[in-house]
Amino acid sequence: AVGAPDALAAPVTVLVAFLGWIIGDYAHRYLRGEPGQRRFVTAYLATLAAVGAVIASDHLALLVGAWAASSVGLHQLLTFYRERPAAVVVAHKKFLASRLAEACLVAAMVLLVREWGSLDLAVLGARAAGAPQLPWSAGAAAALIAVAALLKCAQLPLHGWLIQVMEAPTPVSALLHAGVVNLGGYVLIRLAPLISASPVAEALLVVVGTTTAAAAGLVMLTRVTVKVRLAWSTCSQMGLMVTECGLGLYDLALLHLLAHALYKAHAFLTAGEAVLAAGERDLLDSSDGATRAPTAWTQTQALGLTLLLVAGSAALWHRWLGAPALPWLSGALLSCGLATLLWWPLARRRHGGRALIALVAAAQLYLGWHWLLSTSIPVGAPAAPGPLAAWSLLVFLALYYAQLPAGGRVPAALAGRAYDWVYAGFYLDERFTRLAFRLWPVRTPPLASRPPPAGRSSRTRSPA
Amino acid sequence: MNPARTLPSPSPSPSPPPLAAAIAAACAAVAPSWPLDRQIAVNPYWGFIDRPFVEAASTLRRLIGARFALPAAEYLAAWRRGTITAAALERAMAEHGVAATAEQAVAALQAGGDPAAGLPLPSDVLDRHAAHAGPRWRETITQQVSQYCASYFDRHQADWHRVRAGGLYAGWRDGLRVDHALEPLMHAPQIRARAAALPDGAEDAIGWALDRLGIPPQEATEFLQLCLLRINGWAAWCAYLGWEAGLAGGTDPHLRELLAIRAAWEALLHDDLDAAGGCAADWREPWVRRRVAAGPPSADWELIWQRAHEFGYQDGLARLLAGTGPARPAPGATPAAQLVFCIDVRSERLRRALEASDPTLETRGFAGFFGLPIQYRPLGTAAARPQLPGLLSPALEVSDSTGHPDADAAVAGRRRAALDGTSLWRPFLRSPSGGFSLVETLGLGYAGALLRRHFGAAAASTASLGLRADDAKALRPRLLPADRAAAARHADLVAGILRAMGLTQGFARLLVLVGHGSQSANNPQAAALECGACGGHTGEVNARVLAGLLNDPDLRTALGERGIDIPAHTLAVAALHNTTTDEVALLDLAQAPASHADALQRLARGLEAAGQRTRAERAPDLGLAGLVARPPALLRRLRARARDWAETRPEWGLAGNASLIVAPRARTRGLDLAGRAFLHDYDSDGDRDGARLELIMTAPMVVAHWINLQYYASTVDPERFGSGNKVLHNVACGRIGVFEGNTGDLRIGLSRQSVHDGERWLHEPLRLSVVIDAPRARIEAVLRRHATVRRLVEHQWLHLFRFGEDGLEWYRDGRWAVWRSPAPAP
Repeated sequence: AVGAPDALAAPVTVLVAFLGWIIGDYAHRYLRGEPGQRRFVTAYLATLAAVGAVIASDHLALLVGAWAASSVGLHQLLTFYRERPAAVVVAHKKFLASRLAEACLVAAMVLLVREWGSLDLAVLGARAAGAPQLPWSAGAAAALIAVAALLKCAQLPLHGWLIQVMEAPTPVSALLHAGVVNLGGYVLIRLAPLISASPVAEALLVVVGTTTAAAAGLVMLTRVTVKVRLAWSTCSQMGLMVTECGLGLYDLALLHLLAHALYKAHAFLTAGEAVLAAGERDLLDSSDGATRAPTAWTQTQALGLTLLLVAGSAALWHRWLGAPALPWLSGALLSCGLATLLWWPLARRRHGGRALIALVAAAQLYLGWHWLLSTSIPVGAPAAPGPLAAWSLLVFLALYYAQLPAGGRVPAALAGRAYDWVYAGFYLDERFTRLAFRLWPVRTPPLASRPPPAGRSSRTRSPA
Repeated sequence: MNPARTLPSPSPSPSPPPLAAAIAAACAAVAPSWPLDRQIAVNPYWGFIDRPFVEAASTLRRLIGARFALPAAEYLAAWRRGTITAAALERAMAEHGVAATAEQAVAALQAGGDPAAGLPLPSDVLDRHAAHAGPRWRETITQQVSQYCASYFDRHQADWHRVRAGGLYAGWRDGLRVDHALEPLMHAPQIRARAAALPDGAEDAIGWALDRLGIPPQEATEFLQLCLLRINGWAAWCAYLGWEAGLAGGTDPHLRELLAIRAAWEALLHDDLDAAGGCAADWREPWVRRRVAAGPPSADWELIWQRAHEFGYQDGLARLLAGTGPARPAPGATPAAQLVFCIDVRSERLRRALEASDPTLETRGFAGFFGLPIQYRPLGTAAARPQLPGLLSPALEVSDSTGHPDADAAVAGRRRAALDGTSLWRPFLRSPSGGFSLVETLGLGYAGALLRRHFGAAAASTASLGLRADDAKALRPRLLPADRAAAARHADLVAGILRAMGLTQGFARLLVLVGHGSQSANNPQAAALECGACGGHTGEVNARVLAGLLNDPDLRTALGERGIDIPAHTLAVAALHNTTTDEVALLDLAQAPASHADALQRLARGLEAAGQRTRAERAPDLGLAGLVARPPALLRRLRARARDWAETRPEWGLAGNASLIVAPRARTRGLDLAGRAFLHDYDSDGDRDGARLELIMTAPMVVAHWINLQYYASTVDPERFGSGNKVLHNVACGRIGVFEGNTGDLRIGLSRQSVHDGERWLHEPLRLSVVIDAPRARIEAVLRRHATVRRLVEHQWLHLFRFGEDGLEWYRDGRWAVWRSPAPAP
């Protein structure tokens, strides 16, 4: 039940193989001297193999089985330091979320088999595409699959496990954030015909995805450690990826999946350079322009200008080069991001030319990726603009303005309260933690009885 | 510039202290911890040097279950190997006033004792009686306080910062009053209500907490100490802020505010004790009992064995040094070059190798900041950083200069513009919306970045950020201001430095100032491998500045007026010793006259040969013994290691450090001190008034002691005074410190990877043995004058020796006794 790699599986397979090589080589030296390296390698390879199987399978049962196996393999990596209570608590939280997701997937499979008699992905796709309207049970199955993807992509409110996995060695974080958490997006793209035929599934993905993208994005701004910041960033980026799936922008979702994996693997593996970054920040902050901060009006100007440039570029690519038209929502989302390049030049009235060149170049790059991917992966056209698209636009616009916590724009007391809520991650994770404790208690050893680090024998050295 | 006079050290507390005194005493017991980008070594027990080492060990053991010795198995192994001899063990027992046979000592060590748990706080009793499975208060409180502190102190990681209104304590209290996390997580809705009763001021809060908990005044200090030890990492950070404020002549409130937070937590939970099935007496009982408890705790045996271990090292050192007389003649005429190295133990290997490969060279040891009390501010920026030991505060500023003010202004302007241009990327790189587009446009490009790092490309250097390459080349660090009025001050400074080095005559053609720096990649604790005397940076700036001053003709004239004649043929050269690869780069050679080209070439050859020997010596400990026979391959491997983003042990730093020798090089030249000795040059004949010795014993000796105890503590008690496992390190606030994993307390000290290679400890924890070549009276005079130094010696935080007529003499209980080494083992 493993098909030949198609235009979708091929790039993702290459990605996972590449990351598996880079991260594995890194871990080999990074973990030198740690007990349990054999256990690590076994679990690492098993996890990679399971991820490979998810990508290669063309049968839903196999895919779900492999997905569950990848989660079990990852569990071993997350509890690499079994003596750390915090590591075990997080692993339990992840375990619960994953099993819940798998329960959804099994239920979905039962519904699909009863309805269409097959779990072959090609058959499911054809049936879903062929039906003018999905039968009730297939619709429910699609919604269940969407829920499973949301759970596995660490979307709110069961995201806590992803944030707290810093209790495992750095390469495990890199693997999880770059190669495992995004499988939810891959499965959604794989099942695009089914998902896009189910308005409920799409609504779930868009509502939860946008909310997570925006909320987690804001939380990220307040994080005080490098790795936890990266984790919230992943949470937010996965939110955007599932939103893109829910909006039918599957080529973008694939681009996001691939690019985010590379970006995040690099960020985690170089997390030790945070101290250099702090030094760089000192140097940058000492340049005199730092005094004039952008305002909401600057933000609006930046966004307007960027929208014009992006729309113009897209029109040129479409007209002159014959590239497929850029969905307006994609253009708007891109503009929200690229517009940040103009904030400081507009606020300081300096370096405007350089920023514009960077902006236009980045836009062309994006249009190039869009052309390449939308013509190579076999997924249907994006849905027509509807309430989901409007909702997404509103959320991302709100985020665009909210992410600049400028002093003075809001009263200090209000800003303080807002900070408290955002810094607390909106108090979303505590109940989940408590539940995890209740369902699967963690034995926490008293501090004093922790085994001292192993040291077989001291060195023999004399002064002579 | 006499640091020991300004060193804050704890004073004996009168009994029973009023509240303010108890708070002050508890706060004074916390040793500072420097931020990651200037992570110099500190004795984490600095607040306890007012009592003997053994007493501090038992106090900390009683309070928090701290460990002061290796696990028993380590000593037993050393005993079986013969590293610890029967004679050493006997002397250690005698010193501790224990009479027993060696067999009894082995049995007692093997029997061990209960691992001390430390004294409980109310929160611990609640954890013990918790009815439901759930998070424990102990970790929850640590996390709550730690996360709050991180958000309060962060200036370099987050993009959206906490508003710092009202101070550390007030902000915490206000936050707790509106908290929504404890209710779902701990089922503790009552905390929010109780927080309303918290007093406004930090000191009031501490008094309030002591009242509610019913702690009698005579126990207040110890209770407050325990509170701070429970949040030791952040306490050390606050103590650092206090230290810096103290150097600037001020005070800092944060440590006592942190104490208020931690003590208040216990008072907030106190009322729950009865409801939880325990009672208020539960947590008090061990506190009362501890005063009644008598008898030698089992830890004493570990300390006896630890002492025996030290005796073993000292015997070897004494034997080695015994053969060296003070009258060994200097090697012939003026040396071809004089090289001044940092006292760092890593210099010892290279110096020995250098002297062996070219006997015409003379090496000296001096603190690696070369006596320059400076801060360095890269040109065109405001980011100043101290380049001197943490005991001192900078008195002068160094910046980069081309030598021409107009050109400097132009370079600075270009740099500011470039930095400004770079900063426009910030929102795109760091905001959520920007991040989405960053991924969807440039994200795939990170495949290239991953490949580059995989194949060993170094991270972009931030040192020359914003500088054009040709501008960077034209710049040299120079002392400011460079005007005529300052010239006399600079001449006084340099004259003082040369006198302190004992270098006032007999200058060689080359005078080389060798700073050192380490090279590693992706290493949050890289600064711990740098020069501690330069504030956790490389010594490059200091070496270049001093060399530049020494080559200045006007300054030489001024030096002549001050009685120091540097001959015209003497050229001062700055150099940098890369301690990862043991390569030495000679700096600023473009300005060197052609007349010295041959000498420089010869020096470079000598340094190359010495580096090769040194690398071969280090290779086995790095797991590279197989490459010893292939020097080029070994060098390649070490260079790769220095750039490897996945390397957690780029080099062993100062691991193994065990002694400080303050003597002319003639005393140690030719001896293999195995990279374990700090070497400071000192000629007692040229120091009749003892001023130089006073400086050495109050500054370099204290710094060496700090390094020594940092390695000691990180080895014997990695959980509490080390920073844990490096593969879990998570940098907090960009530079303040690391968390081990997700959160928890800020971690201080060295990681396990700094002292352990996965199979064995690479550091042997031994208190520093200081050997001074000076008359008894002169050493005693320093001890008399400086209480801090006296405490270190009398309380056995280090061991003091001197070169006597018949070998080493040992200072013990106010007297000098000839050190009697047993015959060397066959």
